[in-house]
Amino acid sequence: MPGKIKEMIDAIIAQRSNGNSIIAANTRVKLALKGILPDKYDSTSEDDYEVIDKLRRIAKELNLSI
Amino acid sequence: MGIRTVYSTQGLVTDAAADIKNQLAGFDVKTLIYFASSNFDHQSISKLMQETFEGCVVFGCSTSGEIVSGRMLKNSIVAMAFSSDAISDIAVNVVEDIKNPNIKKVCSDFEEYFGQPMSNMDPSEYVGIVILDGMSSSEEKVMDKIGDLINLIFIGGSAGDDLKFRTTYVYANGKTYTNAAILALLKPTKGFDIIKTQSFKVLNKKLIATKVNEESREVIEFNNKPAVQAYAEALNIPVEEVPNCFMTNPVGLVIDDEVYVRSPQQVKGNHIVFYCNILEGMEVSLLESKDIVKDTVAAVQEKKRQLGTISGIINFHCILRTLELEKKGQTEQYGQIFSDIPTVGFSTYGEAYIGHINQTSTMLVFK
Repeated sequence: MPGKIKEMIDAIIAQRSNGNSIIAANTRVKLALKGILPDKYDSTSEDDYEVIDKLRRIAKELNLSI
Repeated sequence: MGIRTVYSTQGLVTDAAADIKNQLAGFDVKTLIYFASSNFDHQSISKLMQETFEGCVVFGCSTSGEIVSGRMLKNSIVAMAFSSDAISDIAVNVVEDIKNPNIKKVCSDFEEYFGQPMSNMDPSEYVGIVILDGMSSSEEKVMDKIGDLINLIFIGGSAGDDLKFRTTYVYANGKTYTNAAILALLKPTKGFDIIKTQSFKVLNKKLIATKVNEESREVIEFNNKPAVQAYAEALNIPVEEVPNCFMTNPVGLVIDDEVYVRSPQQVKGNHIVFYCNILEGMEVSLLESKDIVKDTVAAVQEKKRQLGTISGIINFHCILRTLELEKKGQTEQYGQIFSDIPTVGFSTYGEAYIGHINQTSTMLVFK
């Protein structure tokens, strides 16, 4: 199913920011500094399991459950 | 007015501390942030500054050049003093082992001091200052942990040692630390903002780090080619000329049109060593330098326009930018940008804003 990466990125940003736009913007930068460029993925992006694993690790580091 | 800046060029730390104290006579100092040339005695400076401003929150670091309203200096101590009209509350913590940073402990100390969980603190009301050992090569680790655990902005830079590249120091609680970081969390009374400015144009040339050594901040391959070769090809220059282009053509991670600069330091065989980490798989763009003075004027003016007034700036200004300004004879012009704004700052060995970055000025702006 394509689009899983985009879903995970959106979930991390939404959970982390809780609607706060400053935190949402910072989380996007944070993801990029951890090696995931949010804009590189959209709902048609193929599910790359290396990237998905990386996002799971990032979510854990951020203490989020996605 | 709740913010005042002073500086001293007295050669001895005892004289400089007394000079600063005299200049602040009659001002109700609650917090004092200072940046001091590494040529001052690092063992005594922290104790002396704390004793001179007894009962105040006092912290700072060693530098590679100082900035104060209107001037760029060498061999000086610059200081920004705050009364409670400017900062209503502040707590300072020291991370003593920067290579294994215990940011959880710092968080719980902040929570205990402020009497609320960090997750409840409003990022538009609280801001953090982070000052790191500039020779630790551990800034990414610290900034990553801060970002994992804290939802507030931390801005700052890495201490310097006047280009000796031996040891840098951070100062807090009357003690001198190396291999350490200072984290201060403050609540500015009238609010704050950030300026992050780097004078580069993003070129339409991308490099993907396909093989790296994160620990040594080395890129082994870009675009599946030896890093030096790929960089030379992107710039269309011979390989031998690569080191000459590092200052004017660093690379940057571009996120939402904002550039996070990673500066090349040296060529090592076919590899390129950077001043900060580039992760494997990271896509960076080649950059081209622009006029630092012109861009900084524009950034400060725009912030002034947005805020109406600026009561103070702490400027964490990359040493590579200082070197470029010196080379072009523009240090006086750069200092003048801040002549009508209470400003302190220093030439850093790296800047901090969400992550560890290079060739940038990160400024904490007080409304």
